[in-house]
Formats: sequence, structure tokens, C-alpha cells
Amino acid sequence: MSHQIEFSGVKKVFGTGASAVHAFGPVDLSIAEGEFISLLGPSGCGKSTLMLMTSGLLEATEGSVLIGGTKVKGPQTDVGVMFQDNTLVPWRTVRGNVELQLEMRGMSLSANKDKVDQLLTSVHMEDFADRHPYELSGGMQQRAAFCQAMVHEPKTMLLDEPLGKLDAMTRERIRSDLQNLWMQERPTVIFVTHSIEEAIQLSTKVAVITPRPGTIERIIDIDLPFPRDFEVKNSPEFAAYVRETQEIFRGYGVI
Amino acid sequence: MFIAFFIGFFVFWEYSVIWFDIPRYILTPPSLIVEKGAADLDRLLYYTYITGLEVVLGYSTAVVLALPLGLAIAFSSILKRTVYPFIVCIEMVPKIAFAPLFISWLGFGLLPKVIIVFLVCFFPIVLNAILAFNSLSEELTLFSRSTGGGVWRTFIKVRLPAALPQCFVGFKYAAINATVGAAIAEFIGSDEGLGFYIQIVTGNMRPDLAFAGIFFLTLLGLSLFGLVTLAERLLIPWHISVRRG
Ligand SMILES: Nc1ncnc2c1ncn2[C@@H]1O[C@H](COP(=O)(O)OP(=O)(O)O)[C@@H](O)[C@H]1O
Ligand SMILES: [Mg+2]
Repeated sequence: MSHQIEFSGVKKVFGTGASAVHAFGPVDLSIAEGEFISLLGPSGCGKSTLMLMTSGLLEATEGSVLIGGTKVKGPQTDVGVMFQDNTLVPWRTVRGNVELQLEMRGMSLSANKDKVDQLLTSVHMEDFADRHPYELSGGMQQRAAFCQAMVHEPKTMLLDEPLGKLDAMTRERIRSDLQNLWMQERPTVIFVTHSIEEAIQLSTKVAVITPRPGTIERIIDIDLPFPRDFEVKNSPEFAAYVRETQEIFRGYGVI
Repeated sequence: MFIAFFIGFFVFWEYSVIWFDIPRYILTPPSLIVEKGAADLDRLLYYTYITGLEVVLGYSTAVVLALPLGLAIAFSSILKRTVYPFIVCIEMVPKIAFAPLFISWLGFGLLPKVIIVFLVCFFPIVLNAILAFNSLSEELTLFSRSTGGGVWRTFIKVRLPAALPQCFVGFKYAAINATVGAAIAEFIGSDEGLGFYIQIVTGNMRPDLAFAGIFFLTLLGLSLFGLVTLAERLLIPWHISVRRG
């Protein structure tokens, strides 16, 4: 089995000397191609830090990240990143924002027009393509940001709390869109969330992270059939996974 | 509401001069300002042109020089440690205090006024440009890097549009400074222009004409500010300040 992403002894310390903050690691972790892995952990445990190190936007203090066998040194262009705060620019429409990703990469807009339309349609944003971000609800903004992050068809997607600020109902709907997209394209996804149910519903694996400095407490294989709709979510197996995860957090004193 | 208040103000002015029996050489009613101003319109228009020329030349030179300098300082750590503190220090000096010196060096002509206008416009534009080009959000910086888009593309597609609103804060501030700078420079030493006119007619006990001069000076200031605001509307219609305004 080819490992798409390999973390070995990855550790991050911010600053030096007395004011140094040991934010994350050391962590060893292998993620297979096409896997959907959720990082579940308390606030400040270093999840965003790990995302940035994976995308090559932040250098690890120790250890290394390998993507497709190559060591991550600078920014990785075959990765789609959805940052914790969305990167929609106010001067462009939804379509313009999606195209920004293509333009920044020097990719042809005309050749990718269908791709952009298709992507917007797949997240039900086709009617809002010509709106500006400030005309959209939080949920629609996240849908647009999602299209922006994946329009260049990256093999790996890093999603940092993409649904974090949304209300429960919107979350639920975007989750199923997200799952459909993943099932079609099967990119490798690292997904950060605070919601135990969300992690279990979407993921093939859930990595539970300890409080800062974050290390991996346990990796839970979620052995449930896709698509994980209403039926699956109400199954006793699903409930058992939720319970198992909750126990770990109870142990931290977080819940 | 605003219009009514505005008209009310002038009506009050008109009649208070009569009611309180204020001598004409102290304060004139608006009707007389219009009448006497109209009689002297040729001179007023010519002087508006002169002062306008000083304002436009000084302002546009300031934009043309301050913007690239602000950009250079924002992107160069060496300039930020050398030129930037120097500019901040100079900013503390009231530029208008240089006016007598410039006039003694360069005479009564156009050039010293243009320089004064330039100086009072230059600093707000530079300082706001530096701020503008240094305040790209962390996310957009990371996003740009993640695309591998390079310095130039990042500048054109992300940094520049993101910086425009703050740049316009500088442009507008400078636009307000410009007419004030020109008028004061003319007070200090000149033989034409609206500042010169206001000073002369006031000396001749003609507040009516002084007010007419002030009116044209105001018109000049408003026109420049209006042009800058129009440019802002065209260039950054998406910005919150424009959408609300
Ligand atoms: N640039 C930075 N400088 C110093 N400390 C940082 C920096 N970025 C993050 N940290 C610290 O590292 C820890 C992990 O942060 P982060 O990765 O954002 O956590 P999470 O995403 O899990 O909430 C936090 O304690 C945070 O304060
Ligand atoms: Mg985070």
C-alpha cells in the first residue's frame, strides 16, 4: 500500500529559549492514498500547525513530512488547502474567487470553465456564482471557499475546520456534499474538526490528538459503509464509535 | 433634512446681519456676497485656476512619488529600518512652517506653492501606503504562497487590490490637506491665487469678497475630494466603506 503522506517524528516549537512554545508532536503517522482522516483534538493542540507543516507553509522544527515519497520543503502545489479563516477576497465574485486559484497557478480559465461550473453546481452554488462573498451566508461562503481550495484538482486536501463556524443544520448539509465529492474524486483528505460525530461520519480514520503539545492518542478506524447517511448515523455501530471517542476526551477532562 | 438646515443657516446669517445691525465691513449677508462676488467673477475664476493648478500639480506629484516609495518601504526590510523612521520623524514637523523658507528661496511664483502642497500630501500617502502593503491578512499570505504564484502574480492579484482601501485613506487625507496647504502658502507670499485674493480683500475691508474667495476655495477642495472619492468608488466598489456610503 502506497503511503500518500508520511509524518516521521514531526514536531513544532514556536520561538526559542524561555518563551518557546512546544505546540505539536513529535508525531509519526502514515496516511494512505484516498484516505479521509479527521484530526480531532482540543483547541490549541496544534492541528492548524500540522496542516501548515503538511502544506509546506510552515517548517517543522524536527522530523519530516513526506508526500508521495518526496520530502516537503517549500509550499506544496499539489495540495488544496482550506484555511481556518476562509481566503475569499472581497473584490471578486464567487466564480472569480474560484478562478483566483487557477490564475495564481497560471492555469487557463477557458480550459477550466466547465470544471468551475461543475464544482459550483456540486455544492449548490451555481446560482450564486456572480455574487460577492459579502452577499453570502456563512455556509455559502464556506462552499465557495471549498471550491476555491479544490478547483485545481489536488491529490491531497487539507481542510482546517471548514464547518467550524456554521450552524448545525448547514453543517449537516455541507457534510453530505463534502462526502459525495470525496467519494467521486477520492483525494486524500486531512480534515480538522471539533465535532466527534462529524469526524466519525466523514472519515475512514479518526486521529484523536492530546492537548498541547499535541500527539496522537489513538487512531480509530471507522469501519462503516459509505455513503454515511441518516441510517448509518443512527446505527448502534456509529453510536459505539462516538462513545469510544467521547471516553478519550473524558479522560482529558475536556468534556 | 440636511438641505433644510443648510438653507436655514444662510437665512439666519442673512437676517442676523440686519437684525443685529452688524457693519458691512465686519460681516456681509450672503446675498451681498453673491452679488459682489459675481461682479468680480473674472478675477475669482482666474485665481481659482491658479490655486487649482498648484493643488493639482502638488497633489499628483505627491501621489506619483509617494506610492512607489511606500511600496518600496513596505517590501524592503532595509528601507524599513532606514528611510521609514526618517519619514516618521519628518511627518512630525509641521510642513507648512517651511513655507516662508521656500518662498524666500524660490520667490513668489508657482513652484514654492506646488512644493508646499506636495509636502502636505506626500506624508499621509506614504504612511498609508506602507500600512496598506504591510497588512495583508495571514490567510491570504498563506493562500498566495500555497498556490506557488510567485511575487508578481501575488502582487497583482492579491496584494494590490487588498491594499487599495488603505491607500485611499491616504489619498483622501492628502486631498483635504492640499487646498489648505495651497491657501496658507499663498497667504505667506504670493501675487496671485485665492489665498492672495482673500488676504488682499480682507485688508481692504471687503469681507464680502473674502467670503466669495473662501467659497471658491471650498469648491476647489470639494472638487478634488470628490474626484478622489469617485476614483475610490470605481476602483474599490466592493469595499465596506464604499458599500455603506
Ligand atoms: N506563529 C505562532 N507563534 C507562536 N505560537 C503559536 C503560533 N501559531 C500557533 N501557536 C501556538 O501553538 C499552539 C497550537 O496552535 P494551533 O495549531 O493553531 O492549534 P489548533 O489549530 O489545534 O487549535 C497554540 O498554543 C498556539 O498558541
Ligand atoms: Mg486551528
